Amino acid sequence: MRKPDSKIVLLGDMNVGKTSLLQRYMERRFPDTVSTVGGAFYLKQWRSYNISIWDTAGREQFHGLGSMYCRGAAAIILTYDVNHRQSLVELEDRFLGLTDTASKDCLFAIVGNKVDLTEEGALAGQEKEECSSNMDAGDCVSPRAPKQVQLEDAVALYKKILKYKMLDEQDVPAAEQMCFETSAKTGYNVDLLFETLFDLVVPMILQQRAERPSHTVDISSHKSPKRTRSGCCA
Amino acid sequence: MEAGGDTAAPAPGGAEDLEDTQFPSEETREGGGVHAVPPDPEDEGLEETGSKDKNQPPSPSPPPQSEAPSSNCRLWSPAAPENSPTRSPESSSGGQGGDPSDEEWRSQRKHVFVLSEAGKPIYSRYGSVEALSATMGVMTALVSFVQRDAIRAIYAEDHKLVFLQQGPLLLVAMSRTSQSAAQLRGELLAVHAQIVSTLTRASVARIFAHKQNYDLRRLLAGSERTLDRLLDSVEQDPGALLLGAVRCVPLARPLRDALGALLRRCTAPGLALSVLAVGGRLITAAQERNVLAECRLDPADLQLLLDWVGAPAFAAGEAWAPVCLPRFNPDGFFYAYVARLDAMPVCLLLLGTQREAFHAMAACRRLVEDGMHALGAMRALGEAASFSNTSSTSAPAYSVQAVEAPGLRHFLYKPLMGEAQLPHLEAPYSREEERQRLSDLYHRLHARLHSTSRPLRLIYHVAEKETLLAWVTSKFELYTCLSPLVTKAGAILVVTKLLRWVKKEEDRLFIRYPPKYSTPPAASTDQAAHNGLFTGL
Repeated sequence: MRKPDSKIVLLGDMNVGKTSLLQRYMERRFPDTVSTVGGAFYLKQWRSYNISIWDTAGREQFHGLGSMYCRGAAAIILTYDVNHRQSLVELEDRFLGLTDTASKDCLFAIVGNKVDLTEEGALAGQEKEECSSNMDAGDCVSPRAPKQVQLEDAVALYKKILKYKMLDEQDVPAAEQMCFETSAKTGYNVDLLFETLFDLVVPMILQQRAERPSHTVDISSHKSPKRTRSGCCA
Repeated sequence: MEAGGDTAAPAPGGAEDLEDTQFPSEETREGGGVHAVPPDPEDEGLEETGSKDKNQPPSPSPPPQSEAPSSNCRLWSPAAPENSPTRSPESSSGGQGGDPSDEEWRSQRKHVFVLSEAGKPIYSRYGSVEALSATMGVMTALVSFVQRDAIRAIYAEDHKLVFLQQGPLLLVAMSRTSQSAAQLRGELLAVHAQIVSTLTRASVARIFAHKQNYDLRRLLAGSERTLDRLLDSVEQDPGALLLGAVRCVPLARPLRDALGALLRRCTAPGLALSVLAVGGRLITAAQERNVLAECRLDPADLQLLLDWVGAPAFAAGEAWAPVCLPRFNPDGFFYAYVARLDAMPVCLLLLGTQREAFHAMAACRRLVEDGMHALGAMRALGEAASFSNTSSTSAPAYSVQAVEAPGLRHFLYKPLMGEAQLPHLEAPYSREEERQRLSDLYHRLHARLHSTSRPLRLIYHVAEKETLLAWVTSKFELYTCLSPLVTKAGAILVVTKLLRWVKKEEDRLFIRYPPKYSTPPAASTDQAAHNGLFTGL
C-alpha cells in the first residue's frame, strides 16, 4: 500500500480553477469544469516520494470540512482568479483560518489562475469556457479584460500570511518564489507551480524522517503511527 | 380489465395552444380525456379549479410580497401568455433568461421553484432566479393567502401548480405535463431530499431561524446542476422516481452474491454502508449491522446516493465528502468515500460515520479492489457496464429483444414483494422527444393505477403512436409499451411472454436476496436478517 509522505492542499473560492489546475498537471488536459464535491484525493509520485494532493471544494457548503483536509499539510496552495478581485479577498477572509490545522512549518503558495483571460496573458483566450458555469454575473469576464488582481496584491497577501502565522521572512521561501500566475487552460506556469512545491516539500520529508529516532530499518512503517494519529495522512 | 378506449380519445387540433411546444400532438391530448378526471381527494386542502385569473383576484393578501402585480399571476394561466404580454416592470430585468415574459422560459413544460418562506428565490429549473423574484413573490402570496389550511394544488385548465412546504422552504411545481399532482409532489419531495442531502434539514432550519432572509443560494451553489439532473431524469428516464425503486445491473447471481460477500468482508471503522454501482445502477450493497442495525435503508436514499455518485465530480481521484441520507436521518451527515475502481466506470461508495476516516476507507477500497480482481469480476462488470455506459441513462441496459416478444417496445417491471429493482429497456425511444412522450404516458398510467379515488388494476391504453398495458398485482407492478398495431389479445400474449421471461431471468435481473449485514469483528447471529436492504417496499 502506498503511503503518502507529504500532503499538499488546494484551497480557494469556487470557480477559481483549483480542479482545473490539478487536472492540467496530473492529466495534461483541460476538461470541462465540474463542481467539486467535498474533497478529492490524488497521489503523485515525485522522485521516490508519494505526495498526496487534496483538491477541495470552494463551495461554502463544504467549508466545515476545510480544516480537516488541511490537517498536517506540508504545503497549501491558495488559489484565486486574477479576473475576480473578490476571490483574493476570500482567501484571507475564509480560507486562511482553515490552515490553522496544517503543519507548523507549512509552506504557502498563492496562485492567480485564469491569466489566459486577461490582456497580458492572452495566449489562447478565445473562449470563456471556464466562466460559462459561473453563478455571479460579475464573475464572467470577457476575454482579454484588464487584470483585476496584480501580482503585487498576491505578494502583499503572502506577507500578511507570514505575519498571521508568525513566521520570519528569512525562514520561508521568498514571496517572489511563492506567488504564481497560471492558466490551467493553456498550462502556463502550472508545472512550475507544482514542481516548485514538490521540490520544497521533499527536504521537509527528509527532515521529518531524520527527526524521528530510527531504531527500525523500515522508515515508512515507522512513520505511520504518528500519521494515523493525525488522522489525515496515514 | 378496463378497455381504455375512452382514455385514448384524442382531442386534436384546437387545443394546440400558445406555448410553442415541441410536441403538439402529445400536448393536445393532454388537454383531452384522461386528466379531466377530478383531482384526487388526496389533494384536498385547498383545491382550486379553473383559471386562476378568476379565482385569484388581486385581492389584498397579507404579506408584503403581495405587492407583486397581479399581471404576473396571469403569466401562468394557460390563457395568459398570448393575450397578456403585459411586462411587469420588475420582471423585465434586461435580457436575463428566466424573465417570465421570455417566450422560451414560458414554453417549458414544467417549472420547479424553491423559495424561502420570506419569498427569497433559491432555485428555479429554468432561467435565473434573480429575474424571477417577482414571480416568486406571487407564489409566496398565494401560499400565505390561504390561512389556517395549506394550499396544496391549483388546477388551471391544463396547468397544475403544486405547493409543498418543508420547514422554511417552499417548493412549487408548475406543470402542463401529464403528471398527477401526487406525482409532482413526489418530485418536489425528491428535490427537497436533494437539498437536505447536501445541507441537512437541521442546518437549513437553523440558518433560517437565525436569519429569515438568508440567501440559501450561497450554500447551494454548485448543487443546482444536481437538481437539474434530477428533474431531467423524470422526463428522460421514467422509472426510478416514479416507482420509487432503484435499478440494478443485470448480473449472474453467483457473481453478485460473491461481490456482496466481498463487500461484507471488507470493513473499516465506522463503515455503515458499502455500495457498488455502475452508471447509476446498483450492482450490490452491504449494510453494516452495528451502525445501521434495525434500520433498513430507504430506496429513495439509495437512489439519491446512486445519482450522487454519478456526478462528474467523482470521475477522478478519490473523493471524501459529507452527505446526508434524508430518509434515514435528515439531520446528520455521513462521510462518503467515492472512487472509481480500476479506472472503470464501476464506482465504489463507502459511507461511514467518522469524519477523519478517509485513509481507513481508502484502505478498505483496496481490499475491495483486490477481492474483485481475485474474483475476476472486473471483466464481467465491464461487460455489464458497457451497456449502461458511465455517462448516462441513454444506453440500454439490455435490449428488449432479449424477451423475444415481438411487438414489445419497452417495459418497466417492479416486483412489489421484497427488493425493488427494475430493469430498464430502451429500444425505439432513443430521441429526447420520444422518451419524453413515453415518460408522459407512463406517468399517466401510473397516476390512474394509483389514483386514490378510483385505483385501477389493469389499463389497456391505445395512444397515438403506441399501445400501453399497465398492470398492478400483489406481486408486481408492470408497465409495457407495445407497438401501436397490436391487438388486445396480442398484447396479453406479449405480456404473458414477458412475465415468463422475467420469471426465468429474475436471478439475473433483480437482487432477490439482498446481502444483509457486514460481519462485524464479533460475529453475531443474523437474527435481524429480515431487515435486509431492500425488503418491505
